[in-house]
Amino acid sequence: MILTFEEMQVILPELILVIGILLSILLPNIGNAKMRFPLTRTRFPILIGGTRFKLTADPRLPGRMTVAVFSLAFLFSFLEINSASGTIGDVIEVTPFTRLMSFIFYGALLLASIATTYRMPAKITARAPKDNDSEARSEALISALMDNRRQVDFYILMMMVGLGMSLMAMSTNLFFMFVSIELASLAAYVLVGFHKEEATGGEAGAKYFIVGSVASATGIYGMSLVYLWAGDLDFDTLASSWASMEGLDPFALIGVGLMLVAFGFKVSAAPFHLAAPDAYAGSSSPIAGVLATASKAMGFVALFRVLIQITMPDEGEAFWFVLLAIIAIITMTWGNLAALTSINPKRILAYSSVAHAGYMLAAIAAIGSGLGTHEANEIVVTAIVFHLTILVLFKLGAFLVLSMLEIEGRSHRLEDLHGLASRDPMMAGSMFVFMLALAGVPPLSGFLSKLLMINGIVNISAGTGSSSADAIIPWAESVDPVFWLAIAIVINSALSLFYYLRICLVMFFEESESSKPLHSAYFLRNAIMVLTVLTVFFGIGPGSEYLLELVTDAVSTM
Amino acid sequence: MITSDPLTFITISPIALGLALLIIPNIAPPSMADYIRRISRPLSMSLALAIFAIASMLFFGQIGDIDWLNITQGSYVFQNEPVILLESIGVRWTVGADALSFPMIWLTAMLIPISMLVEWDAKKGHLFHPLILIMEGALLGVFVVLDLFVFYVFWELTLIPMFFLILIWGGDDRRYASMKFFIYTFTASVLMLIGILVMYFNTNDPSLAGTLTGHHFDLVSMTIQSSGDGLIASEGLRHFVWLLLLVGFATKMPSVPVHTWLPDAHVQAPTAGSMLLAGVMLKMGAYGFIRIAVTIFPESTIIFSSLLIILGMASLVYGAIVCMGQTNLKRMVAYSSVSHMGLIFLGIATMQPLGIAGALFMMFAHGIISPLLFAVAGAFKHHYHTLEIGSMRGIAHHSPWLAGHMMLGWMASLGLPLLAGFVAEVAVMIAFWMTFGWLVLLPALTLIITAVYYLTSMQKTIFEGGDPHVGILPESLHGEEPRDITWHENIGMLILGAMTIIFGIMPFIFWDMMSEWSTDFMVETLISAMNSQGVKP
Repeated sequence: MILTFEEMQVILPELILVIGILLSILLPNIGNAKMRFPLTRTRFPILIGGTRFKLTADPRLPGRMTVAVFSLAFLFSFLEINSASGTIGDVIEVTPFTRLMSFIFYGALLLASIATTYRMPAKITARAPKDNDSEARSEALISALMDNRRQVDFYILMMMVGLGMSLMAMSTNLFFMFVSIELASLAAYVLVGFHKEEATGGEAGAKYFIVGSVASATGIYGMSLVYLWAGDLDFDTLASSWASMEGLDPFALIGVGLMLVAFGFKVSAAPFHLAAPDAYAGSSSPIAGVLATASKAMGFVALFRVLIQITMPDEGEAFWFVLLAIIAIITMTWGNLAALTSINPKRILAYSSVAHAGYMLAAIAAIGSGLGTHEANEIVVTAIVFHLTILVLFKLGAFLVLSMLEIEGRSHRLEDLHGLASRDPMMAGSMFVFMLALAGVPPLSGFLSKLLMINGIVNISAGTGSSSADAIIPWAESVDPVFWLAIAIVINSALSLFYYLRICLVMFFEESESSKPLHSAYFLRNAIMVLTVLTVFFGIGPGSEYLLELVTDAVSTM
Repeated sequence: MITSDPLTFITISPIALGLALLIIPNIAPPSMADYIRRISRPLSMSLALAIFAIASMLFFGQIGDIDWLNITQGSYVFQNEPVILLESIGVRWTVGADALSFPMIWLTAMLIPISMLVEWDAKKGHLFHPLILIMEGALLGVFVVLDLFVFYVFWELTLIPMFFLILIWGGDDRRYASMKFFIYTFTASVLMLIGILVMYFNTNDPSLAGTLTGHHFDLVSMTIQSSGDGLIASEGLRHFVWLLLLVGFATKMPSVPVHTWLPDAHVQAPTAGSMLLAGVMLKMGAYGFIRIAVTIFPESTIIFSSLLIILGMASLVYGAIVCMGQTNLKRMVAYSSVSHMGLIFLGIATMQPLGIAGALFMMFAHGIISPLLFAVAGAFKHHYHTLEIGSMRGIAHHSPWLAGHMMLGWMASLGLPLLAGFVAEVAVMIAFWMTFGWLVLLPALTLIITAVYYLTSMQKTIFEGGDPHVGILPESLHGEEPRDITWHENIGMLILGAMTIIFGIMPFIFWDMMSEWSTDFMVETLISAMNSQGVKP
């Protein structure tokens, strides 16, 4: 047995995913194929091939199975958040923190899968076009057949993304982490370019793939330098070598720097974010939502591992502090300014996601300043992880609302959102809540996480401002530069309000081009409603207490 | 709950009922939805009346039996047992009232049923009245909560029903107006939020502090802390926060130069929306300014008092002069609001108990008079289909009731003695004279401009019919015979007019507690701050 029973229990959600992937490959191929015993007339069924049974031929099967698999994985991750612990080999360590992260990943992927069953529907009635069909009818039939045919590809890739992300969070070894990231990334590249019949889809996939693989190559080159320096890629060994390093070894320094490029691409930090808006705009909305939430969370876990676990000195500032602070400010400002000028709702959300990455990078930079105590740093990490968790609610929620629009056509223009309030008040109301949460308006959960991040930064830089300054300018000169990170976040949040409000305003003010209500999309609609309620619920009162406690406990085991 | 924690009840119940009346018809089966739509108007009205009854009972002592004249500075009546909303960052649901907030609470509770009554026949009444109820909860929330986080939430919540009131029931240019209204006030309140956050990061009471952050939003504790060593150690930062708060509150009040959203919003808003906007929402700015900026940062207020005088004078004079040139009735009343709000800044800047009490009474008196003016303007629009001054002459002949209310409202607004506005104006003027001497001539002369524009428009609209039997009818009527106002408009205006007279003859009903509060405030907070700044009290 490769895994003991205890080990299987520890990584149960991942095993479910593996089984799901295998079944997705096998089940749609099961038919009534028979094989004859040589030299006899006896035939026995071998099941692979032949005419498929009614159940296995159903094009909706892969989607339903994937939703079930992600639901199970999501549920088991959730149940184990407080109790998970165990190691497998030398490369996997499961802790409450890793379970929380896989909980986030599976949640995002589950929602995206539900949305995809409407975004790329499997039509059981689709058939080959006949001679007397009109041209438009034939085209519709062909595209429906194509969608049916590629259902299983899409969902296998989704599950691979989930598996890669989850393994990545659990890895304790740089190399295994890299392999897991690549598993998730390669699947994600294909998903981005999945709708290759659309011009933007193919372009987005190619662009994302090329930039992404350059970033990965840079990262693995950095890792090889780190390996040259330390002779090992285990996190603990690396951390102890780093702590005992005299001065700064150029191999280690350049290696970590190059790795930051790879992870910076994953979290879409400036200047590596340029492919992100194209990728988001070209892929289907559910996939863009996954990129903006789960994929971003994955990048931040990698940053936590490398920046905080390995290269953070016990006292004094980390070597990346100034660099990261500058990147953070550029990232958030660039993201917000670019979003202000965008007219494609998906690009607006993509740039808003860049800006959010900037806020979180600023919080990490504040840790790097080395001014804070251990507790203060932990609060900052809690704030970031909390933010990553609730991003799944409102950032993904906003993308799901766009998916609703995509079902009937396109969501690439701001005009497509016009008059949504009169067409579908519930969806417009949800989008309104999501936008306010993204902007960080109290009492929604987006405000709480932003407040916690700002609070963390202010706490770290607290007491550096002179208390005897009696005018505004002298006081500003006396305060530590870290404090300005908090100011940058606040100013940027104020700036971001305008494009979030713009989306809200066009939904309520402009006249819609069509007056038809949106597709009913029962499950997707209800999922969006649940996300709306949770966005409010986790913002204030017992809900937020519960989630914060969960995150705090999980982070303390990191 | 009503007797033990009345303030929470009057804040939460209208929001809960309003939301229920808005949401349930959307998800209930059709027959039930129809039934709810039918009862939503009387149901909203009865809750509004009940809240008015509760507020009155709080005042007259049937609930709680409070001695309103002797609430010591910094303590609140009807405080509830704090409920923790967000333990990790220190947010608590804590409410209370004092002589500063209670007149505003009572005013809100009174205006809501009246504005519902005036718009009793509004289109889509099943949406209109619940929205007004939500508005009531949000407005009361701003005045009762003592936690800045919750304060900010209610502050923003007031925007949403008002936004929809303008958007759905507004005039022809409503999109532009509601968008401008939303963006102006929202941007200003974000600046205010930054100020609140800086204050938050300087609080240090461990018993209230959030478990994760170590700070809290409790206003009472912040006030106590500020009377000790000051809430924020650095004086420079303190001034900065004060200015941020000023921007937030001055935009709401509104003061020149951030007033431009108000005329647009007023002209486009439905009558009830205008009444609440002018009657209560503008007062939120003044209330927040006194409650937070002046109370917690008295030194900054003293240092920047010349700024307050400039802003106040600019609003007063500019508003009055612009009024003279207006041909639109609502626009004129809106600019007169800007002008009157300037007096509040002047009253605070005098740093006299009388001046502050005058500013408080101005808030209250303007809260009665301006809804009357907007109700009149709304009825005029309703029955004559125009707001142009001068397009219609001799209303006194066609609509005697409307003309009467118009007359009373305008007289009260220009400060006729024995009407509510006079008391406030005189108090502010006397205090201004006590502090600044003959400079008082400036604001006093502005009151003449006020009289000029009101009397001119009065002459143009109410009287001066060319033919004494017909007058001149506006073209917008298309030759129809104009009618007098409906019964429900009339009752609403009668109540407001009666209030104007009652509080003009007997201002002491609220004046006494306001002047007690101001004297206390002066003694407890301002005098020591003035001494520390070297300004003679």
